[in-house]
Amino acid sequence: MKPIIELSDVHFRYPGATENVLNGATLSIEQGEFLAVIGGNGSGKTTLCKTFNGLIPNYYTGDFSGSIMVDGSDVSQMTVSEMSFRVGYVYQDYENQLMRPTVLDDVSFAPLNFGAPDFMEKALWALETLGIEHLKDQSIWQLSGGQKHLAAIAGVLALDPQILIIDEPVAQLDPHHAKEIYQRLKVLQEDFGKTIIVIEHHTEFIADFCTDVLLVDQGKVLWKHPVRQGLLQIEDLVKRDIFPPQVMQAALNCEIPLDSSDFPMTIADAQKYFHGLQFIEKESESDRIVEKKEQIASLENLSFSAKTLSNERKTILNKISTSFHAGERIALVGTNGAGKTSLMKCLTGMNKPTSGGGSIGSHSFEKGSLEKLSQEVSYIFQNPEEMFIQDSIKNDLTFFSQSRERDDSSFIEKLIQSFRLEEVLEKDGRLLSGGQQRRASMAIGLATNPTLLMLDEPTASLDVQSRKELIEILQEMDSVATALVATHDMQLVAEWATRVIVMEQGEVTFDGTPREMFDYGHVWKRAGLVPPQIVQLSIELGMRPAALSVNEFTSRIKEGVPDGVC
Amino acid sequence: MEFVERFKKSFNIEWVKLELLKTAYGKKETYMGQLDPRVIMIWYLIVSLLPWFTFNFVILLGLAVYTSVLALITRVSPLIIFLLAISVIGELGYIFIVVFFMGGDFEAYASLVTLTLKIIIMSIASIAAFASMDPEKLSDALLSFGIPAQFSFAVSYGYRMLPILMDEYQQIIQSFRLRGKAPEKSGFLKWKLIYYYIVIVIKAFYPMMLNTAKRTRTTVEALEVRGFSYSLHSEEAKKQKLSHLKIKGKEYQFIAVSSLILTMIHIAGHFYYI
Repeated sequence: MKPIIELSDVHFRYPGATENVLNGATLSIEQGEFLAVIGGNGSGKTTLCKTFNGLIPNYYTGDFSGSIMVDGSDVSQMTVSEMSFRVGYVYQDYENQLMRPTVLDDVSFAPLNFGAPDFMEKALWALETLGIEHLKDQSIWQLSGGQKHLAAIAGVLALDPQILIIDEPVAQLDPHHAKEIYQRLKVLQEDFGKTIIVIEHHTEFIADFCTDVLLVDQGKVLWKHPVRQGLLQIEDLVKRDIFPPQVMQAALNCEIPLDSSDFPMTIADAQKYFHGLQFIEKESESDRIVEKKEQIASLENLSFSAKTLSNERKTILNKISTSFHAGERIALVGTNGAGKTSLMKCLTGMNKPTSGGGSIGSHSFEKGSLEKLSQEVSYIFQNPEEMFIQDSIKNDLTFFSQSRERDDSSFIEKLIQSFRLEEVLEKDGRLLSGGQQRRASMAIGLATNPTLLMLDEPTASLDVQSRKELIEILQEMDSVATALVATHDMQLVAEWATRVIVMEQGEVTFDGTPREMFDYGHVWKRAGLVPPQIVQLSIELGMRPAALSVNEFTSRIKEGVPDGVC
Repeated sequence: MEFVERFKKSFNIEWVKLELLKTAYGKKETYMGQLDPRVIMIWYLIVSLLPWFTFNFVILLGLAVYTSVLALITRVSPLIIFLLAISVIGELGYIFIVVFFMGGDFEAYASLVTLTLKIIIMSIASIAAFASMDPEKLSDALLSFGIPAQFSFAVSYGYRMLPILMDEYQQIIQSFRLRGKAPEKSGFLKWKLIYYYIVIVIKAFYPMMLNTAKRTRTTVEALEVRGFSYSLHSEEAKKQKLSHLKIKGKEYQFIAVSSLILTMIHIAGHFYYI
């Protein structure tokens, strides 16, 4: 195998910046690798990947030194257009990469720009290879998130590049669709011999699909190893807030003499590794001791339908009846398009129920205006930028109380402290980092002092550190408000929620504790959910009820040594 | 009251959004929609210029009827017609008031109505033409007329951005309402409430623009990666892009029938002069 990408001693500084983003990066990547690029926030992962297709130094003309060789040519001597035949790049915010109205138009955009007479064949080939030829006549804006992502990949694949770079492929997808994307990428690597490079921090996916791992730190390549060896550099990883796959964490936690060479990475590995262990039974009733507190909101036969482009009425929510109680931590789960966001919008008054309804406090969901309902309910948009309607975080925080001519300054002061927003108070929300934006948007939501706080996909596209902070904040929320969180993040469900509502095609198909839900395989399978790795492992090992966290898993191991180890 | 309720139910932001999207993206299976966009563009130029060469009321009426029939055939969205009707009624009313206060007589009014009629013909013709072309066809037609590719791409990209902008706008407005406070009493003719909404609609504009502007950073980079700037200087790329435009029997038929009708309107105007 010959290296297809070689960097030696690459330094780079963005124009106008004071510090180097790349600080002597040196690496070599072989053809046919499936490489995961990992690293902490601001370590230079994305910048590094942008050198592979010549965006750096040819499009961003900052201070550059070093050499980049891709497929035998010196990148700094090539134009970005020439490089796009060799390297395809899919952005983290891939939606903005799609620029034509329909899927086929968009996928044929690049070949057409280069004047290829067979642009249509190329586009169709790319669509077929990714298995989405049935979408070719759809409008881009009607696609779901997962479909858009596949369309974006097809758009760069149409030029048939040797190398594909994908920045955070699964950040905004539910686990089911995330796996699908990775399976398609794996096909491209194995059957078509492409080199695939992903920027990723979900180590479960890395373990399942990648062949190599590369750790970036402070603009340098710290090391590059085959995947098993890479994920075993636990000290290096944890220092940068990257956690090994849950099954590996479990093996590490065990007080059993271990041979690191066969540490499990995937569920299949772990099944062999932990085979024959006995587990302490746990009464599933123990979760239920929590007494039901005062009811804060109720829904009765709430239905909602909307008009589609072809003038048909589509039922989005179908006769939903339930109630919420003080102090509950509710997770609302289901695949994309199951109706989670629509339900939350009905509770804020943004959507008016077409029949049925319900009430919170003295306000009804059918009649109450957004302004009235907002005294009880707060909704935090999936995209935090939607929450920034003033020119500084401070004004955003006080917007609610000022419009009501109330003085909440001591309450707001407390929020600022607990969300650590002191430094960004005077800044515009759009200029903050991802984690700061999320914290600020939650504080803004809480500033209305709601009884019911709703969050839409709060952990999507957050790095591990910010995600950890967010969960800590959510955990302290019980005393303040009832939280209703729509999420794909099953680890959040397992470790945080006290109640799960599963939605499927506008109906509630399950309502109970997370433990019960993961115990009833048919519930989550039917709803297209994928439990966290540790839950799947416990199910495979016949543990009843399944352990919800790594700590629980290891604490329930009875004395003895697993078969696989000795 | 029931009518008001029904109106409120069907006439909301969601509806406006759907209608605009339908106008931009709906299936173009109408008669005009199947024609080569270049023919439609030329037809539009001619029909919207013709009224300015005459003061003959019969010809103008004839043109108005002719363009309206074509607009009907292209099944223009009720929203667009509603907007046009509002502006026409507003225009006529305003002319009436001006003439009345300036002490003019019926003649003054008639000549101003002629001007309005000319503008109406232009607007109806543009509705008929642009509602029957999707953005792609429009941008291809512009490109083939030799207009720079940057501009013709901007047209089609603008359409692509339309749903994104509208979603963003709607969400920001909702964000304002979710934390704002509507006036307790709505006042005479609900003017307080209307004022409250107008303020939101204006204020929501800025966050929308900022959010969208931020997103386009990726778009600009991606344009480069996907060879757009390369295509600007490539004749081959332009040829491939326009290879699907062809003038066939249907187009010739349309040209013939249109010329015939326009000639007949002018002949009629010659004989019956008002």
